[in-house]
Amino acid sequence: MKSVFLTGVGGHGVLKLSGILADAALVAGFDVRKSEVHGMSQRGGTVVSQVRYGNRVRSTLIPAGTADALISLELLEALRALPCLRRDGLLLVNEQHISPAPLGPNKLPYPENVRELCEARVENAVFIPALRVARDLGNEKVANVVMAGAFSTFAREIPVEAWVHTIEAAFRPEHRELNLNAFRAGQCYTATT
Amino acid sequence: MRKLLSGNEAIAQGAREAGALFASAYPGTPSTEILETIARQGDIQVQWAPNEKVAYEVAVGVALGGGRALVAMKHVGVNVAADPLFSSSYSGVNGGLVLVSADDPAMHSSQNEQDNRHLARAAKIPMLEPSDSQEAKDFVCLAFEISEQLDTPVMLRVTTRICHSMSPVVFDADAAFEPRPVRPYRRHMAKNVLLPVHARRRHEIVEERLARLAVLGESAREINRLHWGDRTVGIVTSGVAYQYVREVLPDASILKLGLTYPIPADLVREFAAGVDELYVVEELDPFLENEIRALGLRPVGKEVLPATGELDPDRVAAAFGIELGGNGLAPVDEPLPARPPVLCAGCGHRAAFYTLARMGLVVTGDIGCYTLGTLPPLLAMDSCMCMGASVGMAQGMEIALRAGSDHRRVVAVIGDSTFIHSGITGLINTVYNGGSSTVLILDNGTTAMTGHQDHPGTGVTASGVRTSSLDFAALCRAIGIRRVRETDPYDMDRLEAILTEELAAPEPSVIICRAPCRLVERLPLGRPAELEIDCPGCGACLELGCPAIDEFDGRSVIDPAVCTGCGLCAQICPFCALKVDTISRDPLPA
Repeated sequence: MKSVFLTGVGGHGVLKLSGILADAALVAGFDVRKSEVHGMSQRGGTVVSQVRYGNRVRSTLIPAGTADALISLELLEALRALPCLRRDGLLLVNEQHISPAPLGPNKLPYPENVRELCEARVENAVFIPALRVARDLGNEKVANVVMAGAFSTFAREIPVEAWVHTIEAAFRPEHRELNLNAFRAGQCYTATT
Repeated sequence: MRKLLSGNEAIAQGAREAGALFASAYPGTPSTEILETIARQGDIQVQWAPNEKVAYEVAVGVALGGGRALVAMKHVGVNVAADPLFSSSYSGVNGGLVLVSADDPAMHSSQNEQDNRHLARAAKIPMLEPSDSQEAKDFVCLAFEISEQLDTPVMLRVTTRICHSMSPVVFDADAAFEPRPVRPYRRHMAKNVLLPVHARRRHEIVEERLARLAVLGESAREINRLHWGDRTVGIVTSGVAYQYVREVLPDASILKLGLTYPIPADLVREFAAGVDELYVVEELDPFLENEIRALGLRPVGKEVLPATGELDPDRVAAAFGIELGGNGLAPVDEPLPARPPVLCAGCGHRAAFYTLARMGLVVTGDIGCYTLGTLPPLLAMDSCMCMGASVGMAQGMEIALRAGSDHRRVVAVIGDSTFIHSGITGLINTVYNGGSSTVLILDNGTTAMTGHQDHPGTGVTASGVRTSSLDFAALCRAIGIRRVRETDPYDMDRLEAILTEELAAPEPSVIICRAPCRLVERLPLGRPAELEIDCPGCGACLELGCPAIDEFDGRSVIDPAVCTGCGLCAQICPFCALKVDTISRDPLPA
């Protein structure tokens, strides 16, 4: 069984990304469970989702420190979620900085060295400029699908056809090509680094 | 086909397969997507009700008339619907009636984590608890069968981790909808008119029904399942906790209860006799544990498991002294900035709360996005209790503050949907009993927090059909409020002037602040704010808590991608450093 913890900021596509991963795993023939929490997701708060797939999955929640992969769509949220990851797990981060909304004079500063802090703790940390890649493709909203493409190269148990099939089904016809391109760009990015 | 469905989508699919005639709900996390999915499927008649009591009452009417009805609400909604729920247990049904209670352990989006299993017992109705999406679908069909066979409403009790988790469900998505034929209706006064003389007899029938339900629980092994494994440890469990038990203790013997009220006494005794040590693993209260103790058994439960918050594999493992192999990474030493949800950029609620905070008023709040006005930097709310409470509580606070010679003025703040839900009755009380508090209705034209559902004020039904829309001002006047004002909250000086006038008046008043939700009406309010002169960094605009304004090197910076041009920052900048060209909106009557 593989456990993937996904995190990010509300409105940036964490739940869409976890949905694509879960559906692709199902298409690949695995038992799949996914958890998420709605309600506050559009209000700029932290959003997390957990996906587990394998021959038989029971709990949707991943025991602390056992996630095989942590995918974060934002730098600070990667740092916050680190305790979910097992020591030799994969950390995959979109190098995007989103400041939390100002909370008055006592607000803590956004840590400056997120990447170094992560790399000091996780051996297998991969940082991806998914926002830039998405912008180059013409729409920064597809950064989450770029991340799906990047993750797919680490999740060989899910065949590429399963991802492609899922992405084709997940978007309206006019957005399909853009999202498939985003997925391929993510694949290439990790393949070449 | 096999498809990933959330628990809520699976419940909707179950209602469809059961051929339900009708479904009703008031939106509330984590239950909202049940009715939304049913509405999207388009087969079953759907209604957003003004509150859960009305939702339940319409559903009871459908059931007595012979149709199958499903009614969904969050856990605290069942408190609102409790009156008809308890009495409909006596009347019974005709067509099947299923109440979905969506509880929220850990309070992801709620004000308490009450355990509604107690309500099924108190109402003396059967309760089913699914443990994943497949069971959620199957149990809805089963609940309708039990409802009709045993002439009782049935509670389907789910939790956030069932509602909002996805797991594979086998079903035929292309199957045509087969409506269940409506059963004939005939007048049955001794059953449906709950006069004391009738209700006394009905209560006896309810007790007989419970005995028959217990027999059903003993024999229905597809609902209450025994897994014999290692006999040293036997675990009784239900709902999502079952999944955690299977993961953490894959070899243990398990009695997995689907029908958790009434519990199958003989089956539990048989299970207890077959294991060395009996445990109960359940979320929140020791509900099953107490039922099992009443049988004279001595299970281990809440002395090793928490009664607060939700369970997870880690908490279950800790109770049994098991290591799950987590060798995870320690949290980062330095404290990280929090990222709580905030009012959106351009939200009209921000203007109202900034004004209220500036005026130093006592603010009784209510349930909705606007409860976020409590958080820093706005810090503009004194209380938030339950749906509609702000109005009655404002009057009560006023009584106490006056008696204590405290001359601060009290304002109730309530959203449009919440006002319709149960603020109206509080306002009638204020008028009737001579209160003089001021009620601010923040009308954003939607039920925003739960994901923008329509309500009687929006003029659109759950199935998207145009209908009449409630006129808040006319309603308030009709119940005796003589001072009704309507204003655009973005003009904060004007709002403050109106508040000052209304608070000085010796009679109750209502101020309706109209500002459509920015997530619904996505058009910008103006051009993004710009700094005209160098920002001296006084931080005044940061007190708005706007996600479009950040501080960098001691100066305020505006993110033009987030800014909606609402102009609040320009209104409060003491140095006139910010410039916003707002788009003029339709003027409102004074």
